[in-house]
Amino acid sequence: MADGAPSRDDVLSVDGLVVRYGSRVAVDGLSFSIGRGEIFGLLGPNGAGKTSTLSVIEGLQSPAAGTVLVDGQDAIRAPLAAKARLGVQLQASSFQPELGLEQLVRLYAGLYGLRLSGDGIRDRIEDAGLGDERAKRFKSLSGGQQQRFSLLIATLPRPLLMLLDEPTQGLDPQSRRQLWARIEGLRGEGGAILLTTHSMEEAQAVCDRIAIIDHGRLLATGSPAALIAEYREDPRVVRLARGEVTLEDVFIALTGSSIRD
Amino acid sequence: MTDAPLAPGRPPIGMTLAALLRADFTVLARTPQVLVTNLAVPIIFIVATSFGKRDFAEPGTLIGLALSYGTMSAGMLGYSTLVAQDRASGVFQRLRVTPTPSWAIMASRIVVQLVSAVVMTVLGVVVGSIAHGVVYEWHQYLAVLGVSLLGAAMFLCTGQAIVGLLRSPASVNAVGRVLFILLIISGILGSIGVLGDWFTVFSQWTPVGALTSLYAVAFGAAWSDATTAGAIMVPVYAVVCAFVGIRFFRWESR
Repeated sequence: MADGAPSRDDVLSVDGLVVRYGSRVAVDGLSFSIGRGEIFGLLGPNGAGKTSTLSVIEGLQSPAAGTVLVDGQDAIRAPLAAKARLGVQLQASSFQPELGLEQLVRLYAGLYGLRLSGDGIRDRIEDAGLGDERAKRFKSLSGGQQQRFSLLIATLPRPLLMLLDEPTQGLDPQSRRQLWARIEGLRGEGGAILLTTHSMEEAQAVCDRIAIIDHGRLLATGSPAALIAEYREDPRVVRLARGEVTLEDVFIALTGSSIRD
Repeated sequence: MTDAPLAPGRPPIGMTLAALLRADFTVLARTPQVLVTNLAVPIIFIVATSFGKRDFAEPGTLIGLALSYGTMSAGMLGYSTLVAQDRASGVFQRLRVTPTPSWAIMASRIVVQLVSAVVMTVLGVVVGSIAHGVVYEWHQYLAVLGVSLLGAAMFLCTGQAIVGLLRSPASVNAVGRVLFILLIISGILGSIGVLGDWFTVFSQWTPVGALTSLYAVAFGAAWSDATTAGAIMVPVYAVVCAFVGIRFFRWESR
C-alpha cells in the first residue's frame, strides 16, 4: 500500500492527478493509493481539493493530467467499468422527488445490475432503519434519515470502494454510530472506504490512514498515530498543542490557521 | 448486504434502460400538471372547437393544432423544465456516479416523452373524429402518428436547446413559457388567417405552423406550398436545436 506505483492489492490508485478550473489549479499532482479493507481519510481545509479529487474518481470531472485506477480499471478512460466498483455518497444527494424509497431502491438496484424482489427491497430499507418510511419520498425524510438512505443506495452494490464525502455532516451521535457500524461491516467484507471529513477526532478514530492535502497538494500521509509521532516535535505543532498532541494539532500546523471559505 | 458481489461488472444496458424507463414513466404519471397540459388541454381544445360554427378551419387543421400544442407542451416545457430541475437539484449527479452511460439517462427521458406524444395523438385523433364527425382511414392514423413523432422530436430538441443554453430552472421555465406562447399564438393566428396573407405565410415557417401543415396533409388535405415549408422546416428546426442542445448542454447547473 505504498503511495507510488500501484500494487496488486490496491483498490484505488491515484497518480499525478491535476484538476483545473480555468486558470485555477484545484488539484496539483496528487498521488495516493488505498488497499483492500482500508479506511482512508482525505483531509484538508475548505478548497483544498478534496471534492475535486473525489469528483474525478467518481467520473464527474475530467482531470487535466494524471491517472486513476479503481481495482485496475482506468476511471478516466473506462469510467463505467470503474463506477461499477464504486459506491458513492455525495455531499448533497438528491433523488427524484416524485419517487418513493422503494421505487428509488428498485431504480438504483437496476442501475447496478441487481435483481431485487419486493421483499429484498423492503429488507434493505428495513436494514437501514427506514422500514416505517418506505412509502415516503426522499424529501420528506429528516436529515439523518436522508443520510441513511443515501448510504443505503451507496452500499446497494456492495462496492469494492466506497467514496463518502463528509458522511457524518449533520448527523446526531446515534446516526453517526450506526453509519460507522455499516461502514465497518462493509470493510469486514473486503471493501475499502475513502472519506473526506472535517472532524479530526473522527478521522483519528476510524481511519487506518489519512492524507492531509492543501492547495491540491499532498502535505502528509500515514496512519493517524504515525503522523502524530512524526510531527510531535515539530515547532508548529508544539506551539499549537494543549497537552496531548492530536491529529488536529498536526492538521492545523500543516495547513495553517487562517480561515478558508 | 449479503447477496451481491463485491466486484460487480458493468450491468447489461437493457437492465439499465429498463430501470430508468420504469422510474421516468412513474415520474411522468406522478406529475399531474404534465398530464393536464399534455393530454387534457388538447382534448378540451378539440372538443370545444367542434361546437357551433366550425367553418374557420378544417377539422384536420384544428386537431393538428391541438396535437401541435400537446407535443410542444410536453417537449418544450415539460422535458426542459424537468431536466433543468433534476440538474439543479443533483438528481443527474446522483445518477451519473452509477455505471450508467450518460446517453441512457437522456434516452430514457426522451422515450418517455415520445410515448406520451403517441398516447396523446391516439386520444386526440379518436376524440377528434368523434367530436368533429369525420372518419379517417388507417393510413391517415399512421401518417398522423408519424407527424406527431416528428413534432415531438422537434420540440424535444427545442427543449434540449433551451436547457443547453440556460442553466437555472427559473430561466429555463421563463424562456420556455415565453417561447411557447409566441409559437402557439403565431401558429393559431396563422392557421386561422385572421392577420392576413403575409402572416399566414410567415406562420407556415414557424415550428407550430410547419407542424400544423404536415398534420393537415396527414388528415387528408392536398399537398401545398405550406406542406413543403413544413416538410423542410420541421427537420431543420430539429437538427439545429439538437446541435445547440447537445453542444452547449452541461450536466451541472453551476
